[in-house]
Amino acid sequence: MRDPSIEFLKGTLDLMILKTLSWAPAHGYGIARWIEHCTGDVLQVEEGSLYPALHKLEERGFIAAEWGVSDNNRRAKFYRLTAAGKKQLVTSRDYWARFTLAVTKVLETAPAGI
Amino acid sequence: MKERYLRFFGPRAEADVDDELRFHFDMRVRDYMARGMSEPDARAAVVLRLGDVQRVRDECVAITHRRERQTTRAQLLDALVQDVRFAFRTLGRQKGWTAVAVLTLALGIGANTAVYSVVSNLVLHPLPYPDANRLVLPFLEPSEGNSTGIRVSVSPSPIDVKAWIGARSFERVQAVLENDVTVERRGQAAWALHAAYVQPAFPAFAGRQPIAGRMFTDAEVASREPVALLSEGVWRARFGSDTSVLGSVVTIDDKAHTIIGVLPSSLRPPRLGRAPADIWLPLEITPDKYGMAVIGRLRPGVTSVDAARELDSLSARAATAAGAKAPPRFRARLNSPADMVSFKESLVMLSGAVALVLLIACANVAHLLLSRSATRGRELAIRAALGAGSARLSRQLLTESLVLSGAGCVGGVLVGWLGLRAVVALRPESLEALRMAELDASALWASVALSVVTGIAFGLFAAIQSARQSTHESLKAGALSTSTARSHQRLRSLLVVSEMALSTTLLVAASLLIRSVVHLQTTDPGFEPTGLYSIKPGLPEKRYPNEATRRAFYEQMAERALRLPGVQGVTIAAGAPPGFSFLIGALHIEGEEAPKPHTTSLIRYNGVGPDYFRTMGMRLVAGATFSDSTGKAPELVVNEGFAAKHWPGQSAVGKRVKVIRYDGSGTWSAVVGVVGDAATGGLTDQRSSPVLYVPRADYDNLPNVILRTGPRFAGLPALRGIVTSIDARLPPATTTNIQSAMAATAAGPRFIMALLVAFTVLALALAAVGLYGVMSYGVAQRTREIGIRIALGATRGAIARGIVFSALTLAAAGALLGLGGAWWATKLLDQMLYGVPRTDPASFVAGGVVLLGTALLASVVPMNRAAAVDPIIAMRAD
Repeated sequence: MRDPSIEFLKGTLDLMILKTLSWAPAHGYGIARWIEHCTGDVLQVEEGSLYPALHKLEERGFIAAEWGVSDNNRRAKFYRLTAAGKKQLVTSRDYWARFTLAVTKVLETAPAGI
Repeated sequence: MKERYLRFFGPRAEADVDDELRFHFDMRVRDYMARGMSEPDARAAVVLRLGDVQRVRDECVAITHRRERQTTRAQLLDALVQDVRFAFRTLGRQKGWTAVAVLTLALGIGANTAVYSVVSNLVLHPLPYPDANRLVLPFLEPSEGNSTGIRVSVSPSPIDVKAWIGARSFERVQAVLENDVTVERRGQAAWALHAAYVQPAFPAFAGRQPIAGRMFTDAEVASREPVALLSEGVWRARFGSDTSVLGSVVTIDDKAHTIIGVLPSSLRPPRLGRAPADIWLPLEITPDKYGMAVIGRLRPGVTSVDAARELDSLSARAATAAGAKAPPRFRARLNSPADMVSFKESLVMLSGAVALVLLIACANVAHLLLSRSATRGRELAIRAALGAGSARLSRQLLTESLVLSGAGCVGGVLVGWLGLRAVVALRPESLEALRMAELDASALWASVALSVVTGIAFGLFAAIQSARQSTHESLKAGALSTSTARSHQRLRSLLVVSEMALSTTLLVAASLLIRSVVHLQTTDPGFEPTGLYSIKPGLPEKRYPNEATRRAFYEQMAERALRLPGVQGVTIAAGAPPGFSFLIGALHIEGEEAPKPHTTSLIRYNGVGPDYFRTMGMRLVAGATFSDSTGKAPELVVNEGFAAKHWPGQSAVGKRVKVIRYDGSGTWSAVVGVVGDAATGGLTDQRSSPVLYVPRADYDNLPNVILRTGPRFAGLPALRGIVTSIDARLPPATTTNIQSAMAATAAGPRFIMALLVAFTVLALALAAVGLYGVMSYGVAQRTREIGIRIALGATRGAIARGIVFSALTLAAAGALLGLGGAWWATKLLDQMLYGVPRTDPASFVAGGVVLLGTALLASVVPMNRAAAVDPIIAMRAD
């Protein structure tokens, strides 16, 4: 959890939130659990980053919030992806794919003659 | 959407964030417990995991607040855009109404902007120098003052100027001498340029500095270094803004000068309305430099009386030091820069007139807004019924008023700009200072503010009125309720009466000025200007150094002029019309007390040849003209005004007068004849002011040759030809067609009159539109009543008479108020009237009659409409 490489990935939190919400609207806790679930609990989403990130995404108009009722009958704030958010998700995902591919190439290429 | 709405007005962002985080906390605890932890352990673990919850909360709250602020702003902007768009749509639907309102505002604002721009440039800020309110221009006047009624400023002598430079009442004193010079550059034709000779500190005094190169220094002035600075205009036009001109040499009046800098075109010599300086040269104050203008900036707290006293004592000391035995015969008079504008009073009068025009325009816009709110009653009621709040409706009405004012302002700027350009372009020569006028922002803002305030005030009034009546009543009645309509009508009548009153005041003023100009142009000037010409050669002092050489030249000229075809008579005189010539000295009338020694006053005089009166066509009232053509006999001729002033009821012929000259000398001369009063100073001349004629022209100052010509006269070119035929090296002589020059002296008053008449016509037209509006509206409101009266047997004539009667009642009330106002307001005109008293009954009658006539015209259409009401349709309506 305090692994520096995981810290480095924090910038990708926005992308993961958008992707999570592309399946269905969810509340903050649901988003955190989904990400933890997908990564087999490798990524522990920090609350200290998650909620500010959600509010910032809402401010930028990528996601919208609405109060609803959770499956255990509690009042919860549900986030859903807006049209702008969908576009942003496509862009970010492309960028991410190219970025990881580039990093991977660096990691896998050895200089000739060694 | 519901959530947004709630958040907007209800729950605060903090509570929301708390709820969200608490939910997360509880869920995490539940999750841990599901994995087998006890509740206390789970809570402890979650608290540890969450860390600094407060920071997260604050961050989220801050983001939410920021977002809310942006949303509010966007919504307000959105509403504003919507309002403005709606206003444009409603205004666009009523094109005629909107056009009248915008045009009214544009004319009012435009006229004011143009006139106040002139006032601001010429009266309030005549010289673009810093601390302008402490600037004074010292001149001299005779110690006994000036009783001639003509504005005369005597330039200080070089001795005075030199003494004044160090005056302690001033922060700094600057002397400026202006002159025309000939500038030559190698390989190019000579240019005639206007030069200003100044001291090194002059640009700093005027708050400017060279835009290229440098100013000359005190050392350069003292050592008479031939240096010059170009004006920005000449630098751009003649030297292509090329900085390599610095250090190059030009020939100025036959002397090589080095160009060392360029001064900005905003730097102006301290004379109003003169051509701007083309070239700036060093001024060394030497005894031959007559005609310098002096300008000083008073120290803070020093009055101009104190300063004048100091200048007088400095002059006295300098004169004594220069060897004079008598004290100075002049005293200093300090003019403010605005005093130099001779038509300042006319400008103040015009700005008053144009302010009345703006008031009438505002009253008309108020009318228009009121009548609109009346016809829109139903629309507003429907919108209110559909749920538009009264605040929303008021805001809408206000937005409309503001959009209207805005359009009016744009039109006003255009009208003002065009108007100012027209005034400057059409200015007569005597109002040359008008060329300095430029569009003035503060003038524009003042007019804009007034019209916006009018728009808001009456837009708001209409809004309040419509808000006050119940929606139900409005929908039922279709228009305004009767009580509201009545209060509107009262207010509108009040507005119309004020418009009528203001127009009447303007009409009286315009009538007075028209009569004054007619008087100027039709009154016999006392001599015959038709066919009269004058010529004045420019004799250089080097080649014509003394009286004998000059006299010889003039006599030859007169002789040749007489031989020109069509010339009937020739004479030589110091002063030729239109113009004044003065003697600075003192008069001792035999039998009256001798003037105090060493005092001076301004005496109108003319040194003339024996044929002067016959050539001019002046009337000899008594006695004879000069007997001696040599001018040596001690003889005088006076005008009727002189005789009436000094010997009322007696014959002036044979009386003796001693003219004590500037140097104290004087001999007794006898009056041999009395001639009629003549407007030799121009049509605006005070004809009866005393004039003394002496029998010889003075050749120290070059006199004029005056010619009486008949139909066969070849004109001015032939006249100029005789000068060059005597001496081919002379510059072109100054020639004047006295008839047209005399006519031009009325151009200033005529121009001011034309402007006032234009404003009056505008005011009257606006007032007529206002009256027309009120009458039409009244007829529309009373259609049903009129229908009933016709059905009950009233004749259409009676109905029409009733309408006209009520229009004339409003107009008459306004006219009476206006005539009263004119009685007071024409005080402003007093100095501008010639031959017409300011209480001239004809002008007052004319003002009232024109107003009533206009009111009658304005009520014709409403009258016909009322008379044409069909009782059946009228009663079926609504």
